Amino acid sequence: MAVAIAAARVWRPNRGLSQAALLLLWRPGARGLARSHPRRQQQQFSSLDDKPQFPGASAEFIDKLEFIQPNVISGIPIYRVMDRQGQIINPSEDPHLPKEKVLKLYKSMTLLNTMDRILYESQRQGRISFYMTNYGEEGTHVGSAAALDNTDLVFGQYREAGVLMYRDYPLELFMAQCYGNISDLGKGRQMPVHYGCKERHFVTISSPLATQIPQAVGAAYAAKRANANRVVICYFGEGAASEGDAHAGFNFAATLECPIIFFCRNNGYAISTPTSEQYRGDGIAARGPGYGIMSIRVDGNDVFAVYNATKEARRRAVAENQPFLIEAMTYRIGHHSTSDDSSAYRSVDEVNYWDKQDHPISRLRHYLLSQGWWDEEQEKAWRKQSRKKVMEAFEQAERKPKPNPNLLFSDVYQEMPAQLRKQQESLARHLQTYGEHYPLEHFDK
Amino acid sequence: MAVVAAAAGWLLRLRAAGAEGHWRRFRGVGLARGFLHPSATVEDAAQRRQVAHFTFQPDPEPREYGQTQKMNLFQSVTSALDNSLAKDPTAVIFGEDVAFGGVFRCTVGLRDKYGKDRVFNTPLCEQGIVGFGIGIAVTGATAIAEIQFADYIFPAFDQIVNEAAKYRYRSGDLFNCGSLTIRSPWGCVGHGALYHSQSPEAFFAHCPGIKVVIPRSPFQAKGLLLSCIEDKNPCIFFEPKILYRAAAEQVPIEPYNIPLSQAEVIQEGSDVTLVAWGTQVHVIREVASMAKEKLGVSCEVIDLRTIIPWDVDTVCKSVIKTGRLLISHEAPLTGGFASEISSTVQEECFLNLEAPISRVCGYDTPFPHIFEPFYIPDKWKCYDALRKMINY
Repeated sequence: MAVAIAAARVWRPNRGLSQAALLLLWRPGARGLARSHPRRQQQQFSSLDDKPQFPGASAEFIDKLEFIQPNVISGIPIYRVMDRQGQIINPSEDPHLPKEKVLKLYKSMTLLNTMDRILYESQRQGRISFYMTNYGEEGTHVGSAAALDNTDLVFGQYREAGVLMYRDYPLELFMAQCYGNISDLGKGRQMPVHYGCKERHFVTISSPLATQIPQAVGAAYAAKRANANRVVICYFGEGAASEGDAHAGFNFAATLECPIIFFCRNNGYAISTPTSEQYRGDGIAARGPGYGIMSIRVDGNDVFAVYNATKEARRRAVAENQPFLIEAMTYRIGHHSTSDDSSAYRSVDEVNYWDKQDHPISRLRHYLLSQGWWDEEQEKAWRKQSRKKVMEAFEQAERKPKPNPNLLFSDVYQEMPAQLRKQQESLARHLQTYGEHYPLEHFDK
Repeated sequence: MAVVAAAAGWLLRLRAAGAEGHWRRFRGVGLARGFLHPSATVEDAAQRRQVAHFTFQPDPEPREYGQTQKMNLFQSVTSALDNSLAKDPTAVIFGEDVAFGGVFRCTVGLRDKYGKDRVFNTPLCEQGIVGFGIGIAVTGATAIAEIQFADYIFPAFDQIVNEAAKYRYRSGDLFNCGSLTIRSPWGCVGHGALYHSQSPEAFFAHCPGIKVVIPRSPFQAKGLLLSCIEDKNPCIFFEPKILYRAAAEQVPIEPYNIPLSQAEVIQEGSDVTLVAWGTQVHVIREVASMAKEKLGVSCEVIDLRTIIPWDVDTVCKSVIKTGRLLISHEAPLTGGFASEISSTVQEECFLNLEAPISRVCGYDTPFPHIFEPFYIPDKWKCYDALRKMINY
């Protein structure tokens, strides 16, 4: 009979020795015994005992040959608070968030959605070079962001703009980065959607996938040392979780006891690659216990489920200095990016199902309506207002010049090396003669 | 990897390094005389291991930094790390096996002195070590990461090149990981073969945003390492492992800094400029003596010290004076850092050159084991190249 791993609501790694066994093994005054954490207590070496003496595992012997069968038919269950119609299922799980907070959740998601539509269009019209939408995943962003402190450090992948939106990153700056204009705090160096904000503790996005994972762990370690009472949250997709850096990050976080939340957005696709081609196990949550990490799977389209899980993970990560893994199941309604046409690899019906039947925004709206905190009129007014805000920011961003080309050369190092300065001067001289062949009129003088 | 590292450490410990760093002949440990050939004497029958290809030349005792103590290279590294952790409460040291003191003893005593939260082992994962280090540095704390052998730095290449080097630039200076330093044993060691002998500086030279530094001696190592740790840019500090025990000299106990991106003219001369870094500096120093003695040629010897950003001015100034340049490194010839120096110097000093620039480097092969004496750019190859340049 296959040894099935028990499906628990919170996936706990096997902590090994029972109390009785611990008593049997304890020998006062012996060398090499208990370190700070009970689970790392080493057994007193004794050849008389028939118990396993291996340093590498805390387990009993078994005399029956049995392979553990990975359980992917009945995987780790998905925690949710609301049903697809936005009704609370188990009232004891209702976070009872105040009206303003729930409205903020709703408005962040919808404003993001509006901004996404307009910026996607602007790429299609050749105004910006590239864009990535967040359609369908807004719930994972705002639900988790709302559960954190504003000073908690965020490492993202590239589809977490809602976290910034929730932290009130101005539309002007979203647009400035996408346009690479003179207001961009990133100084125009990166492709669109590579946001960063020091003030809001959102580390600048980079294109290589999963590189942020071990970095987030290091940041969490430093926060622990500094007694900062701060958690680090690290977002990544289920595709990025295949990278070696993900494995590295998980293992380091567990062994070095870091206050970090690993937040995986499992949205079903990595560009065109479906999850069936990305992994063969039970998603990402099932990997956590392999590293000794507390893990949970949640309905990513249920803002309250995401909120509750993140809130509790945060509380415990900081209190206990250990990592938590949250796998938020969701669906990428949009294309991977403006360089992708997903009709090439999935059906319109599939996409429509998620858009119409299981969308974080509509589910929360139903909740708001049932609470009497929202109505059709407010919905209409807000849609109009949010569109107006976005359009204003958009038009402004269009009109601004790009930064001075000298900014091509700065910040490579803190100080500019002599050889680089020579190169900068060389470009300046070149432009004096050949400037007409360059788009200088769009750039700040 | 750990087994060989331990073996390497064992073998290094077996070396009886004399006061001047001369190697003794290595007689088979534990084997009775005549074990292999009962009829022959040990002298001619037994295959002996080679004498080192260089002679470490200590610099005169530094006077300006206070009290000094005789330290070898790994001790000078420990001293620098000790100073750093004492001065900077955020500083932490981590990597494989650093807790017990490190496979080359560079971190001995530090965990006991500063605590297990500041000097700790990580799992065996270079990409994790560097990524983790970047994350610490992003928060502003000082991260000193160790990669056990430079040969194993490649899994971390993405984190170094795509992340660490670009952190400040890509964020518009909102974020940086300047307080990250990566230390790693580097270069040939007599028996290291493919995976314990590499000098990978050229791979990183092509990466704007990081600094790469290589010391030639204990005194240089401590000052340069302290500068790397305090530098506001991510730095890679390669430590010539063959010098860990073989190089010993007076080193100040207190912290001091040697500037980065400044080459050092360690011997002035008028006829030929010789440029090298790390262990090879001692080889070219000896070549300079040979040239003086046998050819009456006066060499200017330059230790480059920082690979990037490199000190173009010092090297060019020297070549303008001498008209001849020889660059030597253990790393393979093609794409090695000598090609960058050569290319820049011929651009800047073309009309001053009396002969083509000479590069004496390792061959374009992986680093061999038994053939090491033939592979390395030893003093005879450098001498021969110098002679040809003089006679050009």
